[in-house]
Amino acid sequence: MGPLIPQGFVNPDLNLFFAFVIGLGFGYVLEQGGFSNSRKLAGVFYGYDFVVLRVFFTAAITAALGLLLFNYMGWVNYDLLYINPTYLWSALVGGVIMGFGFILGGFCPGTSMVAAVIGKIDAMVFVLGLMIGVFFFGSFYDEFAPLYTSGDLGSVFIFDTLNMNREWFVFLLVLVALAAFIVTRKIEDKVNGLEPRQGLFAPLYVGPFLLMIGVAVLILLLPESPRAKWFETDAKTILTEAAEGKQYVEADELAYKLLNPKENNFVLVDVRNDAAFAEFTLPGAIHIPTAKMLDMGYKKLLQEKNQPVLFFGFDDTDANQVWLTLRRNGLEDIFVLEGGLNGFFYHIFQAENKPGKYNEMQQFEARFIERARDAFQSGEAAQKINKKAKPVTTIIEMEAPPAGQGGC
Amino acid sequence: MNPYLAGFLLGLVLLAAFFITGRGLGASGAAKSVVIETIGNIAPDYAEQNSFYASFFATGDGRPMKNWLVYLTMGVLGGAFFSGFMSGRAGFAIDKGPRISNAKRLIFAGLGGMLFGVGAQFGRGCTSGAALSGMAVLSTAGFLTMMAIFGTGFVIAYFFRKLWING
Repeated sequence: MGPLIPQGFVNPDLNLFFAFVIGLGFGYVLEQGGFSNSRKLAGVFYGYDFVVLRVFFTAAITAALGLLLFNYMGWVNYDLLYINPTYLWSALVGGVIMGFGFILGGFCPGTSMVAAVIGKIDAMVFVLGLMIGVFFFGSFYDEFAPLYTSGDLGSVFIFDTLNMNREWFVFLLVLVALAAFIVTRKIEDKVNGLEPRQGLFAPLYVGPFLLMIGVAVLILLLPESPRAKWFETDAKTILTEAAEGKQYVEADELAYKLLNPKENNFVLVDVRNDAAFAEFTLPGAIHIPTAKMLDMGYKKLLQEKNQPVLFFGFDDTDANQVWLTLRRNGLEDIFVLEGGLNGFFYHIFQAENKPGKYNEMQQFEARFIERARDAFQSGEAAQKINKKAKPVTTIIEMEAPPAGQGGC
Repeated sequence: MNPYLAGFLLGLVLLAAFFITGRGLGASGAAKSVVIETIGNIAPDYAEQNSFYASFFATGDGRPMKNWLVYLTMGVLGGAFFSGFMSGRAGFAIDKGPRISNAKRLIFAGLGGMLFGVGAQFGRGCTSGAALSGMAVLSTAGFLTMMAIFGTGFVIAYFFRKLWING
């Protein structure tokens, strides 16, 4: 089901509207949490007020648990979420600089905007500084670029980095957070010279806390089977489809669609190697190397389209393998060109094709093939298609956003 | 509001953001869009030469302000103002430690902002975009950035205590 927008369930034009609505909630909660006061925010570093730690950790854990649960229930496909890439050195240097910024400025960007809008003058100056900082980075981007791109580990998960099981990691994270809540509360009382407060959990937040622990335990105990496999297609279904040859698109159908671009709703995907693709391919086809078919960027592209995808190779062996793998991973509306390129060209150019005393249907087909042959030979087909041909670069851009387009 | 409840609600907002858009929250991205839009308007030649700005205008429709994070931030401003106004916290003020003057506080606020502006580029996001959203999807980058920000804060807090406390 989710995420909605990357899968095309929601009109992308509504994207910005959702952004605004989510922002409303974000701003409201931050302000209500007390994040509009720099003195309160800085308190976390001096022990007199740990509100930042409480809100921050509770939010991170709530969302992390929620996403795992949603993934398990099949409400969110984890594969389609944006996992911010890890650039080890860039992240560390950036974090250290931001640490200095936090102590000196008393805000982080989000909280400064929350504070500025309700009239905090220090926050307004901070926001101004923020923009100067971005401008500074932009001006010296070429100098910063080597550091900015150093330590590229890709979109890795923390539990993989630590070589841990995902569910156990989350469970331990919850325990660490709860321990931190208890300890920081004691520190806070000591720093502020108060009598240690009795009772850790006021009735108001005993609910969220129990819910967190409950969900963490639940995720730990849930049976393995559906967890990662929710989005997979059942093996029996695939076997039936393959036995019936349901994945195949015949040469005639493809030829017809190539000649009638208006009715051609196929996304053509060439699964041969780079050199073969560079030499020639079907008009409008894009190239995805077989080994990369399951990479997030490509998978997203194949899934996002509301168009059927047709795979082809020299014959149909490789394309069938791709079809099988992707089908197993839950992709729908994907097909294989029967006989591959060789079969296609043989059918159009070389096959014995004698109209005559056959029935009407066969005559019609023969005439069609003849027309297709002419169209391909004269280059008419390529011309027709090229108008809507998608260059390969569109996929590459999807995989790697251009420099300086990080999150936040 | 009770901080745990606020955190829980913030977590739900974050979850909603992931459910709908597949991405988390962010704040510094809007500041970046404003800078890029401004530079693109007042010095288009410079923006074209500089690879940082050029990469923004080369992709997409060349309209940095028509951006998810910009609209999110507009929402943040609206939501925060509503909350502050309804709770009687709206009004001009400067929050600072007991030992420094207003002018000094503002200078340091500006400096802090600048550092955050630079740091959020290297970190590919700030406390919300990289650390919070990154932790929610259990990315290594999220935990790394979070530990670097707060770790640095705790290590250097002592040297800057005059800004915030009496001790």
